Amino acid sequence: MEDNSSSPNPPRWRKVAYGGMQPGFEDNHTDESFLEQMVMNASVVKRDILKVMQDSVSISQYLCIVALVVLVWAYTLRSSLDENSLLLLDVSLLGTGFLILVLTEGMLSLNLLFHYILNISFFITGLYVLAPIYQTLTRSISSDSIWALTISLLVLHLFLHDYSGSTIKAPGALQNPTLTSCISLNASVVASVFIASRLPSRLHVFAIMLFSLLVFLFAPLVTYCVKKYSFRLHLLFSVALMIVTLAFVHMLHQLLFVLFLGLLVFVNVVCPYWLIRIQEYKFEINGPWDEAKLCFDITD
Amino acid sequence: MGSYSNLMLGCERFGFMANQNHRILMVSDFFYPNFGGVENHIYYLSQCLLKFGHKVVVMTHAYGNRSGVRYMTGGLKVYYVPWRPFIMQNTLPTFYGTLPIIRTILIREKISLVHGHQAFSTLCHEALMHARTMGYRVVFTDHSLYGFADVGSIHMNKVLQFTLADVSQAICVSHTSKENTVLRSGLPPQKVFVIPNAVDTAMFKPAPERPGSNEIIIVVISRLVYRKGADLLVEVIPKVCRCFPNVRFIVGGDGPKRVRLEEMREKHSLQDRVEMLGAVPHAQVRSVLISGHIFLNSSLTEAFCIAILEAASCGLLTVSTRVGGVPEVLPDDMVVLAEPDPGDMVLAIRKAISLLPKIDPQVMHERMKKLYNWHDVAKRTEIVYDRALECPNQNLVERLSRYLSCGAWAGKLFCLVMIIDYLLWRFLELWKPAEDIEEVPDIVLPCQSDGESLKDCSEDQCLR
Repeated sequence: MEDNSSSPNPPRWRKVAYGGMQPGFEDNHTDESFLEQMVMNASVVKRDILKVMQDSVSISQYLCIVALVVLVWAYTLRSSLDENSLLLLDVSLLGTGFLILVLTEGMLSLNLLFHYILNISFFITGLYVLAPIYQTLTRSISSDSIWALTISLLVLHLFLHDYSGSTIKAPGALQNPTLTSCISLNASVVASVFIASRLPSRLHVFAIMLFSLLVFLFAPLVTYCVKKYSFRLHLLFSVALMIVTLAFVHMLHQLLFVLFLGLLVFVNVVCPYWLIRIQEYKFEINGPWDEAKLCFDITD
Repeated sequence: MGSYSNLMLGCERFGFMANQNHRILMVSDFFYPNFGGVENHIYYLSQCLLKFGHKVVVMTHAYGNRSGVRYMTGGLKVYYVPWRPFIMQNTLPTFYGTLPIIRTILIREKISLVHGHQAFSTLCHEALMHARTMGYRVVFTDHSLYGFADVGSIHMNKVLQFTLADVSQAICVSHTSKENTVLRSGLPPQKVFVIPNAVDTAMFKPAPERPGSNEIIIVVISRLVYRKGADLLVEVIPKVCRCFPNVRFIVGGDGPKRVRLEEMREKHSLQDRVEMLGAVPHAQVRSVLISGHIFLNSSLTEAFCIAILEAASCGLLTVSTRVGGVPEVLPDDMVVLAEPDPGDMVLAIRKAISLLPKIDPQVMHERMKKLYNWHDVAKRTEIVYDRALECPNQNLVERLSRYLSCGAWAGKLFCLVMIIDYLLWRFLELWKPAEDIEEVPDIVLPCQSDGESLKDCSEDQCLR
């Protein structure tokens, strides 16, 4: 700026808004203090590839669960699985799931047990009564459309699924599930109804509906509880699940096996590596214009 | 009478005067009958510019059945364009829907310069875009701060970049806001001017005598929402009441967080010490302010904060969170700043209470008169207008290159939007030539000076 020779020390520019235009300086004056308080990449966390890979196991684990459900659907539609073995599968799933929940959460009382049994029996009765309706639901639609619709619903389900928690909460949980996870859950339920409607007998429909609902509703809760209980157990369980799933897919179809293996490798190896690589492009700006964060919790 | 007396000072012409008279169109979705910082700014700025001999026309969207052309105090002409707001007083973004009416207004009023206000007003963005297409110089004022992290901000920042890519000059209300705008839009900092808001000191005079000295009254007037720090108040008020038995609170304002404040009051049984007034109409803000000693502002983000100015003008000592542009607003001895943390805010209130005996409201008011003045704001804005008119006018190809540099995909998209706008404008020129649009004769009102601000005194002509 111009030198003011008449006064010994010319007024310095100050970063203030009051007092009108500062003498000797225009309103668009910009000096070295401009953007002085800007902080770049203050809260960027360095990620460890091993940690990211371990975390991504949750995703591949759930992929395997959904793949197993689809396998059961496919075998049932081919009539390789009869209704009795399906019902046996349902009962064993219900039993093991309940056992795992009880063991990991460590909460059990006679009252609660009675409550659960009552709820489950209501649920099963309702499903049994509705089974004939499901059976004839999509009779006028071709199987191809139903398969296409089911696959797209499952993709939607996987896309919106809450991989970090569980849509169905353990009793006493505080937070409500998010909208996306609810949409995801509903998509999976609709997909199971569509598949069940292609089956020949009422008992088939009932068995497959019960199976799908058990898995889609409670598998995330069970795996979440296992993960919370012990991370090592979670890893072990996931790896076992992956091997089993891959074996079954291999028995079903060669090409599907290759695709599924590729998907698992992509989720567990390629994506974590990719995430670490693009970290260097991360650019975060903070400054006095940011909204202040409250340092206490708001409990509504 | 009062509210206008200091504006009338401007009638005695200021020594320096713009060498030419501008014809300005102010555009924003936010205007009277809505109330807030932006609305206030546009109104007072327009009034002062009118006093300086410029022609000012305001354009906003229709509010309820207030649609068409209205005149306000001082002959300020307001076009309430018949577009309905769809969310938070914003018009639906249609890109080209407003082109015909904006073109008509620009030609009818022989506008020379368009001045848009507020980054989230869609009408403002559209008007600036059409005005640039038609070759007008445009000035933009940003009144708010934005972060860079969430999806909403990223989207808004892109829109702002689009509008500002070709703006002649930009104005921000504080230095922090200028830094923010430069970062968001990529404008060269020399193109961005800092011109703060001001306060009508004649409307916010301190009480002739101070309210009783045995108890200290802390006033809060703000919308009770998260961004204004209502949750901070919930923590701070009980703590202060516990520390100082002679402190009372008056909380004015309404919003979703009011329930939490009332719960707090119940929980700590402070019903007799915390008074909740609900929404306070702007005309009554002064009467609430002068009943207190300390003004408490708990905002979490703020580009400027006019509320602090109004409180200081009423002679209240301000305690505020140190966020955004707030530290620039008042000299250090007129405000006590604190981090947005309950403990620190209680300390700040303690300090303010100890400072209180030294504060003379009348002296404070006199100081505010010197620090802030709408005429000063208008004079400084006039300089920006002169600068904008000096900018060379560019043809379409030169302007497109500016948009192209906005981003790999966004740049091309912006260019496409501008080209379509240009073609539509050309088509309109053929379909309804400018010569066919009747120009409005300028009516010079006899110098009228009576009273109430924002009095709307006109017949309702329908637009077109």
